[in-house]
Parts: sequence; C-alpha cells; structure tokens
Amino acid sequence: MTDREEIESLIARVALKDRTAFEALYDRVSAKLFGVCLRVLNKRAAAEDAMQDTFVKIWNNADRYRANGLSPMTWLITIARNTAIDRLRARRKGHQDVDTPGLELIAPGPSPEQAAVAASEAARLTDCLDALEENRGAAVRGAYLDGKTYAELAETFEVPLNTMRTWLRRGLQALRACMQA
Amino acid sequence: MSDTQPQPPEDDDVLAAEYVLGLAEGDALETARDRTRHDAGFASRVAGWQERFVAMTDGIDPVNPPRKLRRALMAQVFPKQRLPLMQRLWVWQGISFAALALAAYLAVPLLRPAPTVATVDVYATQMTSDAFDLTVLAVVDARGDVALRRLSGDIPAGRVLELWAILPEQEPVSLGVLPQTETARIRLPDNIAQNITSVTLAISDEPEGGAPQGTPTGDIRAVGAISEL
Repeated sequence: MTDREEIESLIARVALKDRTAFEALYDRVSAKLFGVCLRVLNKRAAAEDAMQDTFVKIWNNADRYRANGLSPMTWLITIARNTAIDRLRARRKGHQDVDTPGLELIAPGPSPEQAAVAASEAARLTDCLDALEENRGAAVRGAYLDGKTYAELAETFEVPLNTMRTWLRRGLQALRACMQA
Repeated sequence: MSDTQPQPPEDDDVLAAEYVLGLAEGDALETARDRTRHDAGFASRVAGWQERFVAMTDGIDPVNPPRKLRRALMAQVFPKQRLPLMQRLWVWQGISFAALALAAYLAVPLLRPAPTVATVDVYATQMTSDAFDLTVLAVVDARGDVALRRLSGDIPAGRVLELWAILPEQEPVSLGVLPQTETARIRLPDNIAQNITSVTLAISDEPEGGAPQGTPTGDIRAVGAISEL
C-alpha cells in the first residue's frame, strides 16, 4: 500500500469507530499536525489544545472523509489548520469561527481526476505565490498560516481595506492562472 | 462599496479561495458555507483550493507532540472501557450526565432497604442502541446486585430479553432472561461483580427460554458500559 492508501484505510476504520486504527492514525500523522498547529499558534500549550480538538473532530467526522475527494493528508492538515486558526482568532479578539470546510463537504467533492489535477497544481503553489506582484503572496500566506483577516492584512500592508480586498482577489486570480499554466 | 458591506467577489473560484483562506466575511461567508454544503460544483472548487493551499504547510517540519497529549486525547475520546464486540456493533452510547442523575434518582427506591446505600459505591449504566428503542437503566451496588428498570421499548412478540455481562476479551456471560416487568433485580456472579468497572451490559432478544447455546443469537437491542456513579 502507498502512504496515501494506508492513511485512507486508517481513516475508513476510524469511521467505523475502531480505536486501534485511531491510535495508529494518531501515531502516523500527529507530528505533522502538531507542527502545523505550532506554526499557526506559536505557543506549545495552545497548540496542544488545538491538537486535541483536531483529533476529536477527526474521530467524530471520519465517516465524512470519503465523500469529499480530498487527499487524506489534505483533509487532516486542513482540519488541524482550521482548528488552530479558530483558536488563534478566539485569542486575538472575541470568538470567531473559521469553518472547517473539509468537514462540511456534504456535496460530492472533486472526482479523483480533478483532485489529482489540484494536487499536481499544488506542487507549483510556492513558485506561483512568489511570482505574484508586490506582497500578494505574503498576504495569502498571512491569511492561511497566520489567520489574518482582510482588516488585519490591510493594516499590515498599510492600504485601505477595500484596496486590500481588490488587490488580494486579483492575486488569487493570478495564482490560479499561474498554477493552471 | 463601504468597508462594512464587503462586496462578494464576482468570481466563484475567488469566493471559494477566500472561504478556504478564512477571508470570507458576512454574507459572503454565509453564501460560501451554504453553497459548500449544497452545490457540488462550488464544493469541488473549495476542495480544489484546500488541495492547493495545503502546499503552504509542506515546509513545516513535523514535531512530536508530548506523550501526555496522546494520553489526554485517548482519555477524552474513550472515556470508558471499549470492547471489541461493542466496536463491531457500533452501538456505543456515552452516558450523559443527565442519565446518571436520573440513575441516581431512580436507584434510591430500587436499592432500599439497604441502609448503607449512601456510603457504598454505586455503579450504573443506561443501555441503549441506535437501532432499537429499548432503554434500560442498570444500577449495581457494591454487594453485586443489579437493579434494572426498563425506561422504554417493548419486548418483541414471541421473544424474551436476555441480559449479558461482557468483560474485556471474554465471551458474553448470560445473566439470565429478564422478566416481563419494568423492573427486575439480578444477582451478579462473583467474577463479574469483582470487575464491575470493566463490565459492559447488553440485552439481546432470544427465543423463549433464552439463548440455547449460552451465547447471544438475536439482535443486541441495548448496550451500555458500567461506570461509577
């Protein structure tokens, strides 16, 4: 079995409430997910809390994994990232929910072919982000890895809020064009 | 266009990207959330951006979490003894605080006239399942008596309900056929009573007279793991 198949098989068994599979999945992916939580939250205690929440979500939602078409590591990392960002924002000011879209994909996700295309495009993400004009790549990274809102990005880059929106949206369109090229 | 009324992007793909990044706000966020649930094309765009953006985590080195995190997580997800049989049946039901409070309330008259009821340890579970409407409360005292009260569910016609005790890694042990009444009281075998915190109780429906071979043959209609009250 490939890594992907092994992790998919573990998630499928976790969906059937198999404790052994859950422990094996934890041992397999927790270091990567903890790295992501630490990167976002930058504090060990907060990252540990986010990890615990992440794995409870994985336990409770594993039965929804198969339908969404994501690669297993994308699904797991997305849950960890969203959970960490959620905590980060709650810490910054009042509670603000970041959806965990990976958990909510009830509609069928991409076909395996589409998912493979997206995954191969992902390989170009770093180059494409770096190729964006001005600091748009940094803004996308700031949103994804630091949970920055449009208002916070506008402050960081010292531009009016609506300029920030327009600017980033153009950046996203350019990013897509670059990755599909 | 004002700052408080952000204009959603005209481009679906950009909206999906903003949603994945956590930048969508207000109405745009509601729209994106709703369409992700109900619109396969939009959900596909969301998944595509998740797949692309996750590459931003490629450079993040794995860090081993502390062992105590694993222990705390497992204690949270598996608060009580989990049994292979129960895993296969997939009918695990946690015991809610409300159910325990109810158990304590109902246990009092059942346990009379035991005068030491307030000082002995009391163990209980509420047996339920997703597939059947049978709910039976079981309260065990330290002397090894289990008092049962059927809260809901009927006995199927021509069948009887049989109570089983299951210890980890062991075959179910029959505790006998339950009477038709709502309440019953059953003496536990010593080895079950001595390991009461590891016991899971289950009720199956069986032919008249009980399971002929001493192992459950019918549907498991309710199950619950014993815990300390």
